[in-house]
Amino acid sequence: MPTRTVAVGSASGLHARPAKLFVEAAAAAPVKVTIRVGDRKPVPAKSMLGVLALGAKQGTEVILEADGDGAEEALNGLAALLARDLDASDA
Amino acid sequence: MSDLLDRRAILLNQEAANKEDAVRQCGAALVEIGAAEPGYVSTMLDREKSISTYVGEGVAIPHGTLDGKALVKRDALAVLRFPGGVDWDGEQVTVCVAIAAAGDGHIELLSALAEILLDEDEALALRSATDADTVIRLLGKIEEGTA
Repeated sequence: MPTRTVAVGSASGLHARPAKLFVEAAAAAPVKVTIRVGDRKPVPAKSMLGVLALGAKQGTEVILEADGDGAEEALNGLAALLARDLDASDA
Repeated sequence: MSDLLDRRAILLNQEAANKEDAVRQCGAALVEIGAAEPGYVSTMLDREKSISTYVGEGVAIPHGTLDGKALVKRDALAVLRFPGGVDWDGEQVTVCVAIAAAGDGHIELLSALAEILLDEDEALALRSATDADTVIRLLGKIEEGTA
């Protein structure tokens, strides 16, 4: 299954704002994407509560997985989003 | 739980005209217990304008922007319940768990809260809570998770 491992780039970790942007992007993807930390249970990347429950901080490595048509492109986009500092545009 | 969730910051029978009103009440509760400077409230409103803090299960988690961290005096939660519901950009919010956090601690805190809300029974219990003891029991796990 196509997989990407990426370190969270947002200064404040994968919480409210960065998590929301990520979840919205995942929900818009044409394939079902999961996200997990280490060996923990994968959660749907479009679930805000699931993503928040990961407790990922800046630098935490998360693993994205998806299958089907468009999975590679979807993972590339989501991995790039996670690697960015999504707090940088914060007010 | 006593440090993080002050009983005085558990207000379970609130009414709010709209989301902004609800966020202001949340901020006022955090200010009232000495967890944040009054200026923190406007950073909570800024955050909400930037992106909704609705997380699912009828729960929103209003908190300040990164700029607001300097206005936090100590990490704390406030739990405000709006039995009549509040329209939150098209979502219906019944409970706000407002957060004041100066450092990184809020990530564990959010993670623990999300774990609770992922359990549908506990999420329902939180939305239905009418006494502070129930809220303290439900959210007690947060402090265990962050200790």
